Amino acid sequence: MTEQLSDHTTDAYALQVQGLTKRYGDLVAVDDLSLQIKKEEIFGFLGPNGAGKTTAINMMVGLLSPTGGAVLINGQDRARVPKRSVGVCPQELVLWEELTCVENLTLIGDMYDLPRVVTNERVRSLLADLALSEKAKARVSQLSGGMKRRLNVALAVVHDPDIVVLDEPSSGLDPQSRLLLWDFIRSLKGKGKTTILTTHAMEEADALSDRVAIIDHGKLLQLDTPQNLKRTIGSGDIIEIQLAEPERNETVIAGLKSVKGIQEIKDVGGKINVRALNAVSLLPEILERVDAMHARVSDIAIRENTLEDVFIYLTGRGLRE
Amino acid sequence: MIIFAFAFGSPSSLGTGTTPHKIAVINLDRGATASINNTDLHINAGANFTALLENVTYEGTNTHMFTLTNASADQAQTLLKSRGLDAAITIPENFSQAVVSLSNASARTEATSDIGLQVINASSAQAAALSAQLPTNATLPRPSNVTAQVTVEGDTGSAAFGAAQGLIFNVLQQYESQIQATASRQVDATLGQNQSQLNGNYISAAVEPLTGARSFTYFDYQAPGLIVFALLLQVSSVAQDLARETDSGTLTRLKLSNMRSFDLLFGTLLTWIIIAVVQILLLFGVAVALGFQWSGGANSIELAVFIGIIGGIASISLGLLLAAFARNERQAAQLGVLIAVPVSFLTGAFFPLPSEPLGTAFGTTFQVYDLLPWTQVADAIRQVLVFGSSFSDVAIYVGFAIVLTAILFIVGVISYSRVRLRAE
Repeated sequence: MTEQLSDHTTDAYALQVQGLTKRYGDLVAVDDLSLQIKKEEIFGFLGPNGAGKTTAINMMVGLLSPTGGAVLINGQDRARVPKRSVGVCPQELVLWEELTCVENLTLIGDMYDLPRVVTNERVRSLLADLALSEKAKARVSQLSGGMKRRLNVALAVVHDPDIVVLDEPSSGLDPQSRLLLWDFIRSLKGKGKTTILTTHAMEEADALSDRVAIIDHGKLLQLDTPQNLKRTIGSGDIIEIQLAEPERNETVIAGLKSVKGIQEIKDVGGKINVRALNAVSLLPEILERVDAMHARVSDIAIRENTLEDVFIYLTGRGLRE
Repeated sequence: MIIFAFAFGSPSSLGTGTTPHKIAVINLDRGATASINNTDLHINAGANFTALLENVTYEGTNTHMFTLTNASADQAQTLLKSRGLDAAITIPENFSQAVVSLSNASARTEATSDIGLQVINASSAQAAALSAQLPTNATLPRPSNVTAQVTVEGDTGSAAFGAAQGLIFNVLQQYESQIQATASRQVDATLGQNQSQLNGNYISAAVEPLTGARSFTYFDYQAPGLIVFALLLQVSSVAQDLARETDSGTLTRLKLSNMRSFDLLFGTLLTWIIIAVVQILLLFGVAVALGFQWSGGANSIELAVFIGIIGGIASISLGLLLAAFARNERQAAQLGVLIAVPVSFLTGAFFPLPSEPLGTAFGTTFQVYDLLPWTQVADAIRQVLVFGSSFSDVAIYVGFAIVLTAILFIVGVISYSRVRLRAE
């Protein structure tokens, strides 16, 4: 799948990628990727491990030279755009452990040539927004994991960039910190920033993203709003059946495949997932068939289709290491 | 192992045994005219003695006692200070005159002794017959009072000098004996055999301690080397420091900012230069506390710090080069030590190095290890701190150190910028 660039709406896009390709010998890490990210949107960038997300992001921000293709930022070639237009929060904690929070932020402000007065104000504001004010003068080595993660995000935006790239920003955060961070990410949209969010947490992508791109094997698989993806990819509800003997899952799946109305049935994490538009009405027949196969159901639930279902549907269940 | 063998196993570093000693002969001898059998003969005893030194071998072996180096007095001083020479011999301008004088005195003593003995032992008729045998135009040579002193200059604290000086004195003594014996033989051919003993000292030898090194000890030689060794260890620290920036991802964060390569490299340079200055002063202080005696006062320290900074920049440059190619912080540190320690031996920081000439330029013979900037820095700091040399004295070392450091810095900066600071 390729998203076509529309020239007449260039001003509407913060970032445009066309035919972006990265090859390492015979390996194609990113394969002719084209997409457009609108200004002021939160753009979810999803894909399993090794799908090419980080490679694509690194080419977009200039850390990696593409083998082919072009990256435009605000309609201009990326190389000609001031570096301060983009802020990147890497997945790993990239902090100077022996410096304080303020010193870390000030250093980056200086590196972007911000006037010290502006930096000071930005630092104060960011520390407040990310609940780090009390730790302003604490060394990074003395911070908790959650605090470090929030400071990691702050360092990406201290220079007030137009585009913010957040790579797994909430990885390892407790629920409170995660909600605080989500509020912060939403506030960026309110300040006119464009946010590119890569995450494995589908709940996070669903909750925050205006649009979501799913890539695998370096190719763009789908690009749409989470709602549209859930509606069009694997539409319907999900019946999750937990058998008392999970080793019989494959036999039961084979026996249920002939039930009319079932769109998809598969083993997901030891549970049989049945997707159907009219799941509730199909439930009696499904249970009847399971009983006929002398399989015992230990648990059963019906839920709505999620972004994770879409993700698994598109990228499969195979482990990516 | 080869490097260690090169450093520790070099014969000249031991300075003893049946190994050639590196010496320079400064021959100021103007020659002299000797009258033999009423014939004037120009002799150049200085050249003869030099040839003797060149050819003399250890007893029962074909091993030469000395390896002679062509050097002016100034060059010899410089080489002695860097222990490129074990000793420098100065043959005075009146050496040939003294040799002629010695020869004449020997002949006269031998002749008067021979005649006197025969007169005492013979009857008056035999004495008359003896007088008739003497050549009618025979005259006894008249010795002058010319005396010459050969000086042997060197670092009196060096074992190599001690051994070389002993051998030189011995050879000179043999040379004197040879002159006496030759003169005596010529007389005896006419007047018969006799053993006479010459009184008087026409040729003497003296030890001249190296200027500025009156109390020069081996520690004095080593202390400046230790400073250079410490500067060389910066290679590991710089490489590790920069590799840590890569490992931790902070370099990537900086690359995303407006930071230019110059900012990072200049910042690194400035930081490590400050550390180098502190290191030099600290080591100097410790060395002085342990008995190191430096010459030249505060000016020497300032000049040594300046030269040390050049060595520091060379180390930083090598650190940049290693950080460009090291896979991680640990590898950078290991590579740094792996390179810095052997290089410290090759720079002569601890031991005098054997002669491995590369070529001659600006009147100086350059050795293979002179291509290392730290060698120049070690030599210059040693001369400044130990001998109180001024900037002009060490300008050639400093000049070469700057050129070599600049080359290394450019290579380091280009490598690091290309590998680490550009988009991959």
